[in-house]
Amino acid sequence: MMPDFQAWFAGARLTAGAFLLLAGLSGCAALVPQTMSLRDAWPQGVAERSELREVPFFAQREYQCGPAALATTLVHAGTAVTPDELVKRVYLPGREGSLQVEMLAAPRRYGKLSYPLAPRFDDLLREVAAGNPVLVLQDTGVGFITNWHYAVVVGFDYPAGELHLRSGETRRLAVPFTVFEYTWKKSNYWAMLTLPPDRIAATASETVHLAAVAAMERVAAPDASFAAYAAALQRWPDNVAAGIGLAHRHYARGELEQAAAVLRRTHARHPQAVAVINNLAHTLSDLQRNEEALALIEQAATPAGSPYAAAVRETRALILHRLGRDS
Amino acid sequence: MNSAFKKLLCRFLAVALITLPFQTGQASMIGTEQVTAAATVQADRNLVSSYLSRSQTVNEFQALGLDAQDARDRVASMSDEEVRGLAGQINAVPAGGDGLVVLILVVFFIWYFAFRR
Repeated sequence: MMPDFQAWFAGARLTAGAFLLLAGLSGCAALVPQTMSLRDAWPQGVAERSELREVPFFAQREYQCGPAALATTLVHAGTAVTPDELVKRVYLPGREGSLQVEMLAAPRRYGKLSYPLAPRFDDLLREVAAGNPVLVLQDTGVGFITNWHYAVVVGFDYPAGELHLRSGETRRLAVPFTVFEYTWKKSNYWAMLTLPPDRIAATASETVHLAAVAAMERVAAPDASFAAYAAALQRWPDNVAAGIGLAHRHYARGELEQAAAVLRRTHARHPQAVAVINNLAHTLSDLQRNEEALALIEQAATPAGSPYAAAVRETRALILHRLGRDS
Repeated sequence: MNSAFKKLLCRFLAVALITLPFQTGQASMIGTEQVTAAATVQADRNLVSSYLSRSQTVNEFQALGLDAQDARDRVASMSDEEVRGLAGQINAVPAGGDGLVVLILVVFFIWYFAFRR
């Protein structure tokens, strides 16, 4: 696409030169601030060239860059799916496009994690370098013309000044860093990853990752959630949500001993966490260790307004009932 | 109590009846989403507002051309936080669609005449 433009605009150099001088004076830093900071500080430990050649490509049909971009990242993450199948999951006829929140929601059905990236060029580059293609939302219009578009960043070559995208009908679109930032900035640098459940993003934050796992758990196959919690707990052994989540998955499989073991480890690290106490007491009671369970649930402090008060009350009543001490 | 509010309340209760028991595996086991969401007095209010947002969004999706089953499936895949952010905003948020990478004048000039990185 670029060479055609090049020819087409060759005559317009003079006008453009004048315009650019003006733009230059008014400050490119405001136009593409992150590209400007990359000049001073390239992210540490990231190579200046990287490309994920194995990422597949699906040419989009009319208005359907959402399904095409999502198929790209989903297939890379190991789900056999086509853009056509994804149309009914992310395409919204009345809007002739796909919403960001649905791009995040759809992979969960396939047992894949949707990780929303922080709005930073550094993070995007880090993820690509770490082997994770990045799905981005761009506005390829200018000024009052908006033209929202999803594409997948699969590589970059900083010395050549370009990023490589699976975009629209182009398998390998080379876009200059400046142009890319200009289009990406308008979506507030929106970007997401589609990851296998046991994979953790290179730039992952503990909180965001666990929220992504919990969101997947709502609709994913239990095995995917199990793998996700196990990986998260291994990475962040102190995380309460990961401990509770993994224990839940064990519990659902009927592996009560394992569930109790996971909860015990989490309880040891966070003796005050009421949710952990409650679930451990419940699990112990199911294992017919009711005396132990009762001693534990008595430690659960539920001040007024605690969101866990009802659950703790129920657990305590259940244990007392099983001990034959109903009041 | 006006009838619009009653209708809304009934809708919420209907949805709640169907879905609440599945929130956690066991009646008194606490789920991860409850733990990861800010655990404050806000929690109950958020719960109500999430269910309302879900039914509202299903309706809005249907108005935008989805059939009822797809609309419900798609809303079900969203987290509480996501669905609360979307409800009522569905026509205001970006919808990525166009694939023709139209790099219009300004953008092109910046690249062509000045710098690429």
